[in-house]
Amino acid sequence: AAMAKLILLWLKCILLYNTVEAVFEDQVGKFDWRQQYVGKVRFSHFDTHVQSSKKVLVATEKNVFAAFNTRTGELFWRHVLKSGLEGNIDALLQHGQDAILVVGNGRLLRSWDVSVGGLNWEIVLDSGSFQKACLVGQQGTVKHVAVLKKNVISLHYLSNGHQKWIENLPESETVDYQTVYSGGNGEVYVLGVVPHSHIAIITYSIEDGEIIKQVILFVSTPWLSNIESSCAVVGQGMLLCVDSVTPSLYMHDLHLNIHNHQMTQIPLQSLGLEVAPGFQPVLASHQPNSGHQPLSEFFLQLGPDNYVLLQLNNGQIVTLRDFKPALLVSFATTGEKTVAAVMSPKNKTACSINLFSAETGRRLLDTTLIFIMDPNGGKPEKIYIQPFLKKDDSVGYRAMVQTEDHTLTFIQQPGRVMWTREEALSDVVTMEMVDLPLTGTQAELEGEFGKKADGLMSMVLKRLSSQLILLQAWIAHLWKLFYDARKPRSQVKNEVTIENLSRDEFNLQKMMVMVTASGKLFGIDSKTGSILWRHYLDNVPSNAVFKLMVQRTTAHFPHPPQCTLLIKDKDTGLTTLHVFNPIFGKKSQVTPPALPRPVLQSLMLPLMDQDYAKVLLLVDDQYKVSAFPSTKNVLQQLQEMASSIFFYLVDSSQGTLSGYRLRTDLSTEQIWEVVIPTEIQRIVSVKGKRPNEHVHSQGRVMGDRSVLYKYLNPNLLAVVTESTDTHQERSFVGIILIDGVTGRIIHEAVQRKTRGPVHVVHSENWVVYEYWSTKSRRNEFSVIELYEGMELYNSTVFSSLDRPHAPQVLQQSYIFPSAISTMEATLTEKGITSRHLLIGLPSGGILSLPKMFLDPRRPEIVSEQSREENLIPYAPELMIRTEWFINYNQTISRVRGIYTSPSGLESTCLVVAYGLDIYQTRVYPSKQFDVLKDDYDYMLISSVLLALFFATMISKRLAEVKLLNRAWR
Amino acid sequence: MWHMERIPQLLAFVQAALVVAWCFTDLEAGPGTAVSTQANGDRFKIEGRAIVPGVKTQDWVSAARVLIDGEEHVGFLRTDGSFAVNDVPSGSYVVEVVTPTYRFEPVRVDITSKGKMRARLVNYIKTSEVIRQPYPLQIRSNGPHSYFMKRETWGWTDFLMNPMVMMMVLPLLIIVLLPKVVNTNDPEMRKEMEQSMNMLNPNPELPDVSELMTKLFSGSKGSSKAGSSSSKGTRPAAKRR
Repeated sequence: AAMAKLILLWLKCILLYNTVEAVFEDQVGKFDWRQQYVGKVRFSHFDTHVQSSKKVLVATEKNVFAAFNTRTGELFWRHVLKSGLEGNIDALLQHGQDAILVVGNGRLLRSWDVSVGGLNWEIVLDSGSFQKACLVGQQGTVKHVAVLKKNVISLHYLSNGHQKWIENLPESETVDYQTVYSGGNGEVYVLGVVPHSHIAIITYSIEDGEIIKQVILFVSTPWLSNIESSCAVVGQGMLLCVDSVTPSLYMHDLHLNIHNHQMTQIPLQSLGLEVAPGFQPVLASHQPNSGHQPLSEFFLQLGPDNYVLLQLNNGQIVTLRDFKPALLVSFATTGEKTVAAVMSPKNKTACSINLFSAETGRRLLDTTLIFIMDPNGGKPEKIYIQPFLKKDDSVGYRAMVQTEDHTLTFIQQPGRVMWTREEALSDVVTMEMVDLPLTGTQAELEGEFGKKADGLMSMVLKRLSSQLILLQAWIAHLWKLFYDARKPRSQVKNEVTIENLSRDEFNLQKMMVMVTASGKLFGIDSKTGSILWRHYLDNVPSNAVFKLMVQRTTAHFPHPPQCTLLIKDKDTGLTTLHVFNPIFGKKSQVTPPALPRPVLQSLMLPLMDQDYAKVLLLVDDQYKVSAFPSTKNVLQQLQEMASSIFFYLVDSSQGTLSGYRLRTDLSTEQIWEVVIPTEIQRIVSVKGKRPNEHVHSQGRVMGDRSVLYKYLNPNLLAVVTESTDTHQERSFVGIILIDGVTGRIIHEAVQRKTRGPVHVVHSENWVVYEYWSTKSRRNEFSVIELYEGMELYNSTVFSSLDRPHAPQVLQQSYIFPSAISTMEATLTEKGITSRHLLIGLPSGGILSLPKMFLDPRRPEIVSEQSREENLIPYAPELMIRTEWFINYNQTISRVRGIYTSPSGLESTCLVVAYGLDIYQTRVYPSKQFDVLKDDYDYMLISSVLLALFFATMISKRLAEVKLLNRAWR
Repeated sequence: MWHMERIPQLLAFVQAALVVAWCFTDLEAGPGTAVSTQANGDRFKIEGRAIVPGVKTQDWVSAARVLIDGEEHVGFLRTDGSFAVNDVPSGSYVVEVVTPTYRFEPVRVDITSKGKMRARLVNYIKTSEVIRQPYPLQIRSNGPHSYFMKRETWGWTDFLMNPMVMMMVLPLLIIVLLPKVVNTNDPEMRKEMEQSMNMLNPNPELPDVSELMTKLFSGSKGSSKAGSSSSKGTRPAAKRR
């Protein structure tokens, strides 16, 4: 009997699973898109081992190692390493088909096959903080890689990573070893510095790691601290250092066999050079092949926009060319030729890049490349040059320019942009979806209903005129269709630009306003994913937190839509506001208020000023409230409303949660405070409900036809706490449901032997949260649902101040067979559609899990009533089915947030998942019940109709003939 | 009832615990145990190989990762499909090979503080149950991921077998075919029919004429077994009259 029961249960589950919406194969790419990013580039190399290679390798600050196609900018492959310091990429070296990565402060050494993107080998290095790595060659062939750490140097084979030798560095407590160099002569040099004293140079033999010689260079001035930037090895092993105090160059031959030595001083003045005041000069040399010595030409940067190309010639330094103004310089080698690329400003909006022969400093003809700077972008930061030999043996090149806003631009001569990558989008912090504006005609029609009625006649006229406009638009549309149909398909362009943006009939296309950590804002068309506007805010602090709010939507036609971005410095709390138009990205004319004091809390009120902009309240650290906009009208409204405006503040360091009320003079008074002792637990997150959420049904119909009413408190906050004690036996996760107006604790629950990270979704009358169970070593979901009971206390309006009965609380927990990255619930226009949870998984999938699986009323024993209610019998484990992945194989790496937005269709919810990648799609939690399915068979229905029509015609005719025949008989 | 059900569960738990204890003792001497070769302090290495039968490794390894307890530790696959995740402290972990195209079953790997490794099947409900897996791990893909639902395709057979269509088509056939099969112009036949109708109508136990005809024709078409068997029964009766 138990078996039969189980089978029944199983069958039921299968049935239910099959009712859940999934993606069909033909829908791929129809309304979804993905963009893959890598993050801000830290190291980049062009793949040069094949002449016609189209790859450029990048290692980024987001711990990503990837290869782009230089023709299109698309990814060949990408490897996402562990996030955080443990996956930090310290160095990227390239040799032939192999790329060597040093990862996690010198913890791991990895070699990758560049052409396939697979791992060759990976080895663990001894602990110790990483300093520098370099390829080591001998007689032109490179077989080893040297890794320098704080107190140890090791040499590894390139072919398998095995360690050839490892040596402790002498006197590593006093000497700060910083760099390692090899000139292809069988020796490895380690350079270290003792501040205020001397430079130490140790020469190791490649063969066995034996110290060949040890040199101490006494330097007279205490200027040297960073060998990497102030020193360089040039030509046949000549160490050059630059000093800004004296100001002069110091020179030493590494091959000299002396133990103590004073460096040769060459005053810069003798070369006719001058260092810009307050600038620390930088030396840069170039070693095209690690098996050979570096070039004898090098760059010396004397000021922010001044570079000099120098040459070491028989122990003499010769100035080849002085570049001023020059923004960036770079060496590049193709075949036997080495060129120096110099980027210099042309005018305010453009830069020019020119190539110069490295040997002579002469400008190469026809090598000018114009780089147009985006006025809404940042300044150029780095250039990477890909040179190639043309048929006539002259040098041609392409350039990749990296700007401050993390953008990569790949340019071809004479200035054609081949592609741009907005790598700032790899770090989206927050976003909003804004409705697109109506077109002129649509607005005209809408306006008709808004205006005041002035007589019957004019109303009729208006009606007629608007109908006429509609007719006109329809005819124009038909004409366009007809016109386009005659043209060949390739010529018909459907490009989206800001000018032709307009709302579609179901409001499915929206403007995605994305805020990135770098301070660059983007406006992206949700339908195609094309970036319509970008705006770089260049004075954003690096530790800023952002909050984006829509103050005015597109619904108030003559007034432009308005978004406000709150930028808060996390350390000082000082806040600035950036007010802009979300459709065009332009900064608004409205001047935001100056905020001299740190802001603690911001809240958007449903109040509007006379221009239909919602009022934003900002609470500063003296609990004074300022309003934006703060017109007379607003202040008056605020005074009237003050007694019903409450807000809460969270101080997680003190463990306090306090509620405040607004006074009519815009000061505040504290009305409640909840203290969560910080010795035991700390507040991890506080989640309210989304303000634009609608709940359609007030209750649930039970099996016996009675109604269980939901407890729909819009002021409810879910406070998640974690224990400070992290021991696995004593750690716990707590959840407190608290009314944000009265401070009343509605419910409290504790999950013992669990720990975070906790992910919470709070919506309608339920809270779903996920945590790690240390006891069973698994992820668990828990759901809390709140019900008023069988009767509603006050069905017309909910007031936190007048709710005498505590709600009934139901809770149930489940096992989830995967870790999760983030979680969000679907949202629809009216809340009729059933809810799904969208769960971002570390594997990159986004699981759409129906909320009905997380229902505390799921019965353990199936009864007639529960069957009537369509409750799924309780099963401890939730399932992950790949059919429920809304993004099928379009995985999203390191998904950080999921944004859901209702569309004009009740069945449809727009979803944007962002992390390293951005993915946009639509979901239909209850299938598409309000539109025809996209596989609707128009052919069939029309053919059946036609067939029936003809059948009736024919049969009518036949009947007539028959009647006639009968009449004749 | 509740407690009664709990008892066998408890027993099972005790049994499982015993099994675990046994396994751990087994672990000490077992031949299959592998001591991690490269122990760095108390950090260990999880090794294994992922196999997709019938697919070249170059085609899928560049998109694959090895995830340990979510993204707690991340490893990559070598070009031959083998992997090693370094720097893992002792504990119990779920090791997963993740690719967008192929599905791999996760494996739980336990590492003792001495660095002894053991692999077993993942069971989230009975977390202490031990079903041994080979270590170093051998993770074999069980096919590509199925991301898509099948569209309901439209076919003539589906259409015709639809009960609504059957209900429409059969009466139509009767109306069209009946006059052709039964020669209504034959006076003898007509008489017979009238007679049979008169006989049938007053008697409620006998089948209605239309029903009889339906059965007759559906029977002759042989579309349903029930129809044919019943028609066999009724036809001789009609003939006899």
